[in-house]
Amino acid sequence: MKLIVADDSRLVRGIVDKIVTALGFEALHAANGKETLDILENGGISLVLLDWNMPVLNGMDVIKKMRSDDRFKNIPVLMVSTESEEDRIQQVLTAGAQGYLPKPFTPGQLTEAIGRVLPDNSRP
Amino acid sequence: MKKILGIDFSPKAEIALLKMMVKDAYIQYEKFHDDLDIRDNDMIILWMEDRHEQIDQKICKLRYACKFQNIPIILMHEQNRDIASQPFIIAGATEVLSFADSAAACRNIINGYLIPGREPLPEEKEYLDPFIRNTRHILKTMAGIDAEFKKVYFSNTIRIFGDVSGIMGLSGISEGTLAVTFYWDLAKTIIAKMMSTEEDLIDAELIHDGVSEIINMISGTTKKDFVGKPYHFEITLPSVIVGPGHQIGYFQNTTAAVLIFEVDGQSFALHVCIKPKTAAV
Repeated sequence: MKLIVADDSRLVRGIVDKIVTALGFEALHAANGKETLDILENGGISLVLLDWNMPVLNGMDVIKKMRSDDRFKNIPVLMVSTESEEDRIQQVLTAGAQGYLPKPFTPGQLTEAIGRVLPDNSRP
Repeated sequence: MKKILGIDFSPKAEIALLKMMVKDAYIQYEKFHDDLDIRDNDMIILWMEDRHEQIDQKICKLRYACKFQNIPIILMHEQNRDIASQPFIIAGATEVLSFADSAAACRNIINGYLIPGREPLPEEKEYLDPFIRNTRHILKTMAGIDAEFKKVYFSNTIRIFGDVSGIMGLSGISEGTLAVTFYWDLAKTIIAKMMSTEEDLIDAELIHDGVSEIINMISGTTKKDFVGKPYHFEITLPSVIVGPGHQIGYFQNTTAAVLIFEVDGQSFALHVCIKPKTAAV
């Protein structure tokens, strides 16, 4: 089962990769929003873990593009970001993300957050 | 009583230095060695003989041993001719003085550097405490590291004596700059623990990336604590600067609070330069 880890930080991608790989996912890495959309084009993605502040195309723009595209509009998105103010979280959820996880996070918190946004029959 | 550590002084130079000493100062002399613990001193005065070899390395090591504290390091010599002071300043010296200069002038300069720093005002504590709390929380959560907050001082210098800094520009209701500065070894240790991997596997790119992410998380989590307050700010994408003695520019007429943390005997610093646009603080 494939998911996208989208973060401009190679460090964060590495941390998340270890956690989701241990859960049985295959992680595909994207360093910005455009790379995220490029990977989505290839199909087969079950979940997108998305940073907000990224170069080229930010996380909010990715959500908006996904939700306006019939091919991607039902793929769950979990925003993982340092932006943790209540109005920011509401903004992300209103735009179409299924969940929000503030950084910093523990492996347990990421696992729980993935569990909340991914339907039972979509988990590895 | 101010504590001054004189390093590598000859008996003749010790006598000359006494003429420049201020009241209420106690000088202790030692020979330079790699394990000098200089943190409890108010000033370091390093004596330079005619030969300059390795003096900049000594200054670098002394500055490292200061563990980000603003301890003045004065390099002293007795040569009449002007010596280019820039290499020594770059290495970490605060001032270069000569016994050939007037003793009164040197005494005034030394005295100036011995003026103690001030404690944070209540309104400064209000915006510094969240940074301290969140920095410790981030390292604990992401790396399982207990970072101990040691002290704060205020600085209007733009010199930073570390190896790598992550910098975040702040805009919005408040403006300013946040910077976290590490020496390479501690940065590597923290990044390795964040990734649950061996330090040998951490390359320079990961360190840049990790330091950038740490300042990103410190900024992001702390801005939430300032909602509805004059210190609230917006963040942008962080930048990273690498190189010993690098410099960071702050806004004019602002002072940066330098928060020093310690992890297993190694230190790092968080520089907080924040100025509300509307409130006078």
